[in-house]
Amino acid sequence: MRLNTPPGLKYPLTVTKVLVKEGDEIPQNGPLFTYRYRAILREQYNRDTGVYEDKEADFYTDFESEVEGSVKRVHISKDQVIKAVTAVAEIEEPCKHEVQFAGMCANCGKDMNEVTYSTTRNNTERAKINTVHGNTKLLVSQDQANHEDNEAKRRLIKSRKLSLVVDLDQTIIHATVDPTVAEWQEDEENPNHAAVKDVRKFQLVDDGPGGRGTWYYIKLRPGLKEFLQLIAQDYELHIYTMATRAYAEEIAKLIDPDRKLFANRILSRDENGSMSSKTLKRLFPVDTKMVVIIDDRGDVWSWSPNLVKVSAYDFFVGIGDINSSFLPKRPELEARPAKPSKVEAEKTADTDGPIASSSEAKSDETVKPSRSTTPTSTPPTTNGDVTAVDRMMSMAGNQDEGSMKEKSEEQDETIAAQQKDRPLQQMQKKLEDAEKEAQASPAVEAASELLAGNGEHEGEAGDGSITPPSPKYRHNLLQDDDNELQHLGESLHSIHDHYFAEYDKVNVAPQGDRIAKLRPGHGKKRPIDEVETIPDAAVVMADLKASVLAGVHLVFSGVVPLGVDIHSHDLSVWARSFGATISENIGKKTTHLIASPDRRTAKVRQAMKKRGRVEVVNQNWLYACFSQWKRVGVEPYRIHSETAANGKGHALPGGFESRDFPLSSSDEESTNTMTEDEGDGAKTPTGLPTGQPVIGKSQLEINTEIASDTGDEEWAMFSPTVKREDSSAGEQQDGGDWALIADELEAWDSEEGGDSDSESVRTEMAGLSNGTATPEKGEKKREHDVAFAGEVVEGGGEGEGSKLQKRKREALTRTTSLTNVVRLAAVEPKLVVEEPNGESKVAVPEPAPEDEDEDDDLEAALAAELQADADAEEA
Amino acid sequence: MFFLHELEETIPLHPSYFDKDMSVYISNELHRLVEGKNHGHFFTICVMDSFEVSEARVLPGTGMAEFTVHYRAIVWRPFRGEVCDGVVNNVLPSGFFVQVGPLLCFVSRSAIPSEIKFDGNATPPQFTDNADQVIESGTHIRIKLTGIRSEVQDMFAIATIKEDYLGPLMQ
Repeated sequence: MRLNTPPGLKYPLTVTKVLVKEGDEIPQNGPLFTYRYRAILREQYNRDTGVYEDKEADFYTDFESEVEGSVKRVHISKDQVIKAVTAVAEIEEPCKHEVQFAGMCANCGKDMNEVTYSTTRNNTERAKINTVHGNTKLLVSQDQANHEDNEAKRRLIKSRKLSLVVDLDQTIIHATVDPTVAEWQEDEENPNHAAVKDVRKFQLVDDGPGGRGTWYYIKLRPGLKEFLQLIAQDYELHIYTMATRAYAEEIAKLIDPDRKLFANRILSRDENGSMSSKTLKRLFPVDTKMVVIIDDRGDVWSWSPNLVKVSAYDFFVGIGDINSSFLPKRPELEARPAKPSKVEAEKTADTDGPIASSSEAKSDETVKPSRSTTPTSTPPTTNGDVTAVDRMMSMAGNQDEGSMKEKSEEQDETIAAQQKDRPLQQMQKKLEDAEKEAQASPAVEAASELLAGNGEHEGEAGDGSITPPSPKYRHNLLQDDDNELQHLGESLHSIHDHYFAEYDKVNVAPQGDRIAKLRPGHGKKRPIDEVETIPDAAVVMADLKASVLAGVHLVFSGVVPLGVDIHSHDLSVWARSFGATISENIGKKTTHLIASPDRRTAKVRQAMKKRGRVEVVNQNWLYACFSQWKRVGVEPYRIHSETAANGKGHALPGGFESRDFPLSSSDEESTNTMTEDEGDGAKTPTGLPTGQPVIGKSQLEINTEIASDTGDEEWAMFSPTVKREDSSAGEQQDGGDWALIADELEAWDSEEGGDSDSESVRTEMAGLSNGTATPEKGEKKREHDVAFAGEVVEGGGEGEGSKLQKRKREALTRTTSLTNVVRLAAVEPKLVVEEPNGESKVAVPEPAPEDEDEDDDLEAALAAELQADADAEEA
Repeated sequence: MFFLHELEETIPLHPSYFDKDMSVYISNELHRLVEGKNHGHFFTICVMDSFEVSEARVLPGTGMAEFTVHYRAIVWRPFRGEVCDGVVNNVLPSGFFVQVGPLLCFVSRSAIPSEIKFDGNATPPQFTDNADQVIESGTHIRIKLTGIRSEVQDMFAIATIKEDYLGPLMQ
């Protein structure tokens, strides 16, 4: 330790004698040197004048060492004048007190709180970092922490593992203290018996109100055991929970009875240091490059880049997280009864009485159900209703004793209330009452059927909410069908693989040339480098995540509460971490509109106009993407497309389609084949002729759209769209658009002065048939494309063979007009130029729009060539 | 080290206990209050007998009676340099914790013989010399205290196994 002269001395000092030399042993408070300083001696009696006056005098004193040890170096010499704070000596201490336990040095056993008159720096200051899971009394110094961290990293790299910090409540388990669960477990007749029969329980004696033991009922998330076994191969597991130590230990016993997975790596509220937030610094004070977190709440981690956010596991409906009293409020917990799951929604709907339910049943859109009857849409993972400021306030402030005690009491109260009120029992009762009512009312039956249908979608989505898989859905409150962990396991595995792929990339090469010049002396340095050059898990994850929704431009509608900044809403933060771009209004780039299914907002309507370019989906699509770490198909999540989704039932009486040729008569078939063709087209751009491919493809999608979700009234409604958009092929989504295009083409033909007769005739026709002809045109083109690509269309759908053939024939008969259209497209620069843009927007469901763009360029080039050929032929 | 120690405790008694069995109540209360508790520098292990119970003094306002009880108890006062047996309850890379009755001790890595190394990949993690000495959670171990510190109601100690005849006990 280097000794400095303290700033409080009477400088300048003159060294009069150095008392030690290098190598000497010096005790604590042993003198190092003597020095002289001048100071004013007050109130000296002057015999001559007879008055007391101040007088300057020399004083001599010792400078003492505040630590014991051997003197390593002395920086001063005799008669040296010290004018300011100076280093005077270096003392090598026998013990640096780098590890301290409960105020004692763990190495030498000395009391670290001892302070002497010469102490300038408290010994406890030397070790301040808490690295241990189960104990707050053991502190280490920065050096020691670095050392331990490096060692741990080396060990992990050697076994090719990462660290995984696992949250308990609502992430891998769900707990309740509601004694109803026990009754249901006993009662085999109970409809919930099947769901709760594997619920585990334990009793904590000193926890809970009144000192009586409280029974905790723990539901493990489905597939937990396999999940833990699996990820334990890739990760070293840590528990980090906001519950008490005793609770955490009990849970660990349940999920890991032989302590093979978590060992002692359990960190609970008691050791956390903060009651409201979690930080990786607590466990990994040096760096977090090899750490991954799974938690159902992002806010407590301040959205750490290492976090893999998991959909909250909400098995015991309406219970929430029993250990979250200390955490900042999670707003959807209040809102929870209203929206988290369909069962819940059903329940609340039923409390509103059968009328509400029946109206809901009849109406998909016409009646706007009240907020509380919102079904199916929202898994309980958003965190939106608190603003950032509120959250900061609640996280940072209010940690004083009083409020802590208050919160502690609050938690006790919550638990007591839950034990007393038995929310589950009440809910089940309501459910049963509702069932009785439902039997009386067929409308409600219909509603439930509908809801059940939606529920199935939800199940597929795996969004973690509770869905009704069985026809018994009315009877049992609790559902046991969560598959989040499966996806989570896959995501974690892929993080691990990518991480070590990255690691190998970085480390193999330099190691290679080092081996060449490796001497025994080099051996020591290598592992340090290894540890220094490891990749950062946060970066690896960010890369992985960012590719999930890359190129997706989201707009929310009816999802983020009014008055909340869209960009700070949890959903939006989360989506951004997956590479999506969020904007407030639908613009040119918008690809997806995340809307609430029960309200047709202005934005929804706006998006409908851009049907095909903007997908209107519910939040579950986002959640599915988040949980599976890939862009899932939008099909099951599409909303506000009911009219067409119900498809044939509508029959479109006076619509274009009924009059129209093969297309409308075989809605579904065309959908099928088209989607297939679409795939083919994308894969083999080379086979596509002239300027058509783009048009053709876009049209394929358009047709899909038409077939699947556009009603004729919507065609009519949306046909007068903005001109500019209409001119872009990619944006021609509606039949109405096509009509417009036909008009435009016509106009344009006349401008060109009847360049070709057949053309003008053709376009006239199109104009007359008002949009109906154009889809057909698309059909033809598609056929054409396919023929070029050498694909056998019928291969995809044998059943539709005859129809397709018919269409094909039709197509072939009209080759001339088709090429004409193509040429028109080529002639009109606007069309061609805007195509790629339009295309990229349309091609939303495809993973990489950029690639698509490139393809388009390629296609355009090829198209030009082919077109030349075609022209030559024509000539 | 264990001592037979004479101590004094003030015990308040509720008026409802003022009957012929009062001395039994006092004795029970004494056992409940002091046994197993930390008194700053030592732990009271067991009360032998209470040899003198003072006259009761009724507290103004509450009606409670207060007795001053002199009693003899077996106490354990850990000393620096004392060798004791304990059970390992947590193993860390930087050392391990040993529970010696009510006393929590920490054995730092520097106080562990150099041939006994930390093995983090073992489940559970352990210190081992890859022979017959394995230190993991639950291991019975003999340690020597090198530092003791008492806080209010609690005591902590630093210990070592880096001497002859210290370390895991062979079962």
